[in-house]
Amino acid sequence: MSAVVDFPVKPETRPYLETFGRARHKCDPDWLTGYRNRSLARFAELGFPSRRSEAWRYLDLHRLEQRPMLPVGSGTAVVTSALRAQLAEIGLAEPAHRLVLVNGSFAPELSRLNQLPSGVWLGPMATAIADRPDLVRAGLDTQPQDRPFASLNAAFFADGFVLDVAPGVALERPVEIVHLSDHDGGGSLHTRSLVVAGRDSRATLVEIYAGVGEYWRNDLVELRLGTGSELARVTLVEEGAEALHFGETLATLDAASRLSNFVLLLGGRTVRHETTVRAEGEMSRCDLNGAFLLSGRQEANILTTVDHVAPGGETREIFKGVATGRAHGAFQGRITVRPGAQKVDANQLSRNLVLSPRAAIDTKPELEIYADDVKCSHGAAVGDLDEAALFYLRARGIPRDEARRMLIEAFAREAVDLIEQAALRKHLQSRLARRLATLEE
Amino acid sequence: MLEINDLHARLTDGREILRGIDLSVSAGEVHAIMGPNGSGKSTLAAVLAGREGYEVSQGTVTYLGRDLLAMEADERAREGLFLAFQYPVEIPGVNNMYFLRTAINAQHRHRGEPEIDAGQFLRIVRAKLRDLDIGEDLLQRAVNVGFSGGEKKRNEIFQMAMLEPRLAILDETDSGLDIDALKMVARGVNQQRAPDRAIVMITHYQRLLDYVEPDRVHVLQGGRIVQSGDKSLALELERRGYGVVEDAA
Repeated sequence: MSAVVDFPVKPETRPYLETFGRARHKCDPDWLTGYRNRSLARFAELGFPSRRSEAWRYLDLHRLEQRPMLPVGSGTAVVTSALRAQLAEIGLAEPAHRLVLVNGSFAPELSRLNQLPSGVWLGPMATAIADRPDLVRAGLDTQPQDRPFASLNAAFFADGFVLDVAPGVALERPVEIVHLSDHDGGGSLHTRSLVVAGRDSRATLVEIYAGVGEYWRNDLVELRLGTGSELARVTLVEEGAEALHFGETLATLDAASRLSNFVLLLGGRTVRHETTVRAEGEMSRCDLNGAFLLSGRQEANILTTVDHVAPGGETREIFKGVATGRAHGAFQGRITVRPGAQKVDANQLSRNLVLSPRAAIDTKPELEIYADDVKCSHGAAVGDLDEAALFYLRARGIPRDEARRMLIEAFAREAVDLIEQAALRKHLQSRLARRLATLEE
Repeated sequence: MLEINDLHARLTDGREILRGIDLSVSAGEVHAIMGPNGSGKSTLAAVLAGREGYEVSQGTVTYLGRDLLAMEADERAREGLFLAFQYPVEIPGVNNMYFLRTAINAQHRHRGEPEIDAGQFLRIVRAKLRDLDIGEDLLQRAVNVGFSGGEKKRNEIFQMAMLEPRLAILDETDSGLDIDALKMVARGVNQQRAPDRAIVMITHYQRLLDYVEPDRVHVLQGGRIVQSGDKSLALELERRGYGVVEDAA
């Protein structure tokens, strides 16, 4: 493969192409081999995104272009005591169903998959490819073809998770997915996951990302919500201080389904989190909420796209951003209402705190409306802490730094408090508080 | 306890609001500072509490033997100075109970005392609420958010009762209150009267003084204290208005 390429190739993709030739995906069935090859060709053709492209204008990929971070091959996860400590620190206190991936590969000894009720399939992607090929295959080719790193992911992903909830099944306790990493070799970890919520099913999912060292995590999760299903999903990103994290979520919503999606970005040098929702069925509801808290030289970019194809849909978005030090955050949100998608009700709010003169946050909410009977609104604000509130706290004896932290926490918590599941809400509140306690302004 | 000498203060835009205040308040005393709108009453409270946006151009303020103006606002509070705000600030997302416990523990740390735990704190809170006849629902709400004008003032008095200051400055705490709320505020102030504590009530009206009897009454006008006297001065002002004092001054 590396020797002969019969498609146009962008120079920055070459090292990845060469690695692909050496990568071993021996166990892949033919359909997957074909898919990987097509995806690699697409990546080579697209190249790295340029900052002229709207979806990438806020991140600087220069370093990544200069120094390739080549995929770390699949293998058996080596579980060290440091990784166990990582998991104890960042995981839920009382996990019910847990799947852990270490450096992108399934770690059975850290996972807990034996309590799953009937009608629920949860396992590593590698197993699903062998055991549930039809489930995995469906939908692969309808995914957007304009995203270079999604294509790179498709070419290289080693593992991930698959959650399949059968029609009518309600999964009471949350499914917890923990991505850990101790890879410090400057490589990339490509994981790909799939959640299928059957008709009228109900599930809660929490995905946690943590690690130490320098690595690039390129993660893609596909969500398929069947008619009348409900999926509550919480994502916590606390990658290592040198890590690069690109997370991509592609969701499709059938009629009367409900997706409630929350993301909290706390750690990682550069974090990009993009959620793309296609509301295909009538009367679907989508809540996209989240927050980021950045300091030092961190950068983070949250992107959301909700495409209302069918009538009667509802979208609610609340995003909170906090940046201090020399950090840079950005929120880009787009809601599209297609012709004929009448009675769509959509609201988007982006509120941001910039706490130091060298920090910055960009916010860009967009509505694109092609139907005439809709209710859509958006708002965006960037500001500093409320001086009157700060004085009030200080006038009660609370030292300035502590008073500032209280106000920052209150600001970010307004988003975190939207998480409906108490255990997950508390967990994220405590992660937020912990991050704030060590925030250098 | 508090010695103010020839205090001049101006806004950042240069306008001089306080033009030579002299005031001495001893422990155990209750003082009322009265005056018309724009006389500098709230500026005096703000300067004493350490609010930013004012520049002291002349004069000194000594509090418990220390230079008050050299202290940060939060340090003044930890040293026992309390300001009841004329317009208490709404702070969304900060729970009232959490806020109070943080404030009290900041004082405890400052004094080198152990912090109080949640259980202990709740017991004290309940007792104080009972004393002041305030409902417990106040605790679960965000600081002042959605409070009525009366509730905000009650919350100020409740905070004062919890923090047990050495010097309490009440900035028009009585304004805009109905008679029940006013009585509650007066009860709170009277409960705080103690030999080692001083209270300064800044007010536009004589009304509050029907319920809290001051030891001294001062009239502030044009940024200066133009007349001082005992409680009978307040009654005279009520009868004859501030214009009389102006003429006398």
